[in-house]
Amino acid sequence: MKNNRRRVRGLVASLLAGAAIAVPALMAMPAHAATEITFWSWRPEDKAFYEAQAADFQAATGISVKFTPYVATEYNAILATALTAGKGPDVMQIRAYGGMANLSDAGNFLALTTKDVPALAKIPAGTLAGTQGYTNKSQFGLPYATSVLGVMYNPDLLKKAGIKALPTTWTSFLAALDKVKAAGILPLGNGSGYAPGMEQLWGAVGPTWYGGNDFYKQIVAGNKTFTDKNFIASLQAVKDLVAYFPAGHEGLDYNTARGLFANEKAAFYIGGNYEISYFRSLNPSLNVGWMPAPAKSTGEKRYVTNWADGGFAINAKTTQKAAAIKFMNFLASKAFMQAAADTLGWIPTISGIKVTDPAVISMQRAIPSSGTPFLTLVGFRYGTPTSSSIMQPGFQKVATGAQTATDLAKAIQTGVASWYKPLTGKA
Amino acid sequence: MARAGIKREQNKYAALLLTPALAVIIIFTSIPALTTLSYAFFRWKGFQRLGFAGIENFQRLFNDPFKSYFYMALRHNVLVFIAILVIQTSLGILVGYALFKLKRGHRYFRTVVFLPVIFSLVIVAYMWQAMLDPFYGPVNYLLHSIHWDGLAKTWLGSTSTALPTLVFINLWRWVGFPAIIFLAGFNSINTEFIEAARIDGASEGQIFRKILLPLLAPSMTIVTILTFIGAFEWFDLPYVLGGTNGNPAGAIDTLALMFYRLSFGSVDSGANEIGVGSALGVLIFTIVGVGATFGSRYLRSREVEA
Repeated sequence: MKNNRRRVRGLVASLLAGAAIAVPALMAMPAHAATEITFWSWRPEDKAFYEAQAADFQAATGISVKFTPYVATEYNAILATALTAGKGPDVMQIRAYGGMANLSDAGNFLALTTKDVPALAKIPAGTLAGTQGYTNKSQFGLPYATSVLGVMYNPDLLKKAGIKALPTTWTSFLAALDKVKAAGILPLGNGSGYAPGMEQLWGAVGPTWYGGNDFYKQIVAGNKTFTDKNFIASLQAVKDLVAYFPAGHEGLDYNTARGLFANEKAAFYIGGNYEISYFRSLNPSLNVGWMPAPAKSTGEKRYVTNWADGGFAINAKTTQKAAAIKFMNFLASKAFMQAAADTLGWIPTISGIKVTDPAVISMQRAIPSSGTPFLTLVGFRYGTPTSSSIMQPGFQKVATGAQTATDLAKAIQTGVASWYKPLTGKA
Repeated sequence: MARAGIKREQNKYAALLLTPALAVIIIFTSIPALTTLSYAFFRWKGFQRLGFAGIENFQRLFNDPFKSYFYMALRHNVLVFIAILVIQTSLGILVGYALFKLKRGHRYFRTVVFLPVIFSLVIVAYMWQAMLDPFYGPVNYLLHSIHWDGLAKTWLGSTSTALPTLVFINLWRWVGFPAIIFLAGFNSINTEFIEAARIDGASEGQIFRKILLPLLAPSMTIVTILTFIGAFEWFDLPYVLGGTNGNPAGAIDTLALMFYRLSFGSVDSGANEIGVGSALGVLIFTIVGVGATFGSRYLRSREVEA
């Protein structure tokens, strides 16, 4: 009798334990498994935009898109690990040029054709190159935007500091920074805590010092090196700007630095057009102007650094190929690109898109006459160590005085020459 | 005969109960460790394994451009170990002793002391980052308001103060752990020794120095070895506060952070170096394994038998 009662109690307890596990698991399953594709990105700040676009896509096609952003600093590792493990999303944002070379060469992406994505036929060849493979030259990504570097400024703060005309030369730029500082305003919001930001700052101000497109062609061909005195001068220009960084700039993270400009504490921010959407998300009423980086002296050329920022790619192992291609065409559509231009400040890669942000219009107009490639990103990220992996922490040391511009140049040359054949054996 | 049978039965059950734990250790510790060891002897392109490389990856680790980062990270790990061992352990002993001597409110104070240990590390890091923010943080605001402007530094932003600040944050979070271990050590000491010493006229200070501290040696061994392992595998706090590069300018870069950066790459600079990263992983494993083994043996040999 006693044993029977124990058995019954045990049975009831087991049933309850099983139900406690099974019921929530069953409830968590969707009632109907509709077609769903996963989409990853490194832009958590654009989540609201992509989710709204995903809702439009679902309304039109019935295909749901699960958008998952990851912090930019971790995205490369997360994506590479997932793809190598044979998983990963159906559609994803990919880095351009060398940033994707290892992944594309390993066969992780579906090669896109103009039959699958007709919009590819209308994108310039130079832009398409940003999302082609390195050893396998197939088109693996749809380049979505051209990114542009330059100097963003707050016209209201400049007026407050008594600056009537925008600086066009290095000397006048430094004078303007001094004037802003004297007015009790932070001259630059940039800090050295975010290492990629330092490379982007150099990318904006450097070309006028090293010689723009001519130098790019020469160094890619191996006729010039990173220890060229003009290249060193471009690194030194960054060091000269450190005096205008906020106090404690070594620890200034990316968002706090951008926040200083967005919240109208700093008059200038040197960076890319992709910062504008973040500035506006923090301060919708922010008045932002844009100008190319100043020329090194009067009469010299002002350059506008630009490159294919990234692309959208399809996982070669996706089980939802048709749905992924449909989504890819949606991402290549004028409707999506227009929305991205309006909301995110993109300079889209397809034509016929009306850009309305005045700062972005300035950038778009400047590219044809003054464009130059982002040298380290476009040319030297295909092997290891990349020029960027040396330059980024190197600039942090230059900013604190722990390394000179000359030593940084030598370190970049040594590192890149170890794998880039045209520069091998050259000091 | 019957005893042998019971022993066999007990051994069988012991083996059965140990199997799940052993399986977890083998799957999640031994296999990854052996796999990493093997990765260090191959060439890699991204995540693609290429040909056999011998000791090439170890040689590359000790040459440019990795050499300077390696020695800087190693220096930081050594400094952190010394700082934590001296400051955190000393504080742990004092707090443990204070808890030992408490006549009332034991549970309350033990909970308060141990509470930071159970906080999520990420929350602790972000909390201190917000508190020490040079522009918006309350610490600098308070210091400015009481006119101690000289102390209102960019603690996490300056290359000279970033590492000590991290040691302080680590101390804030972890001091409760050695304190509880030492409290257990104090409680395990036979009270007859203390009473006999009091009868002989020893002061509290003498009792602490001559009786309690020597008999605390087993607890000291545990804390020292755990501190050594923790210091040379330090990753979480530097990663959360300094990113993969150990900002500012590598001032809080550690061997484990360098391992992560080499293995998975860092934002924008794209490429990773799994071979060199694995070689570094093997080196870290060797340092920790050898150091913990020999350190443990040496410290145990010096323990006083009660």
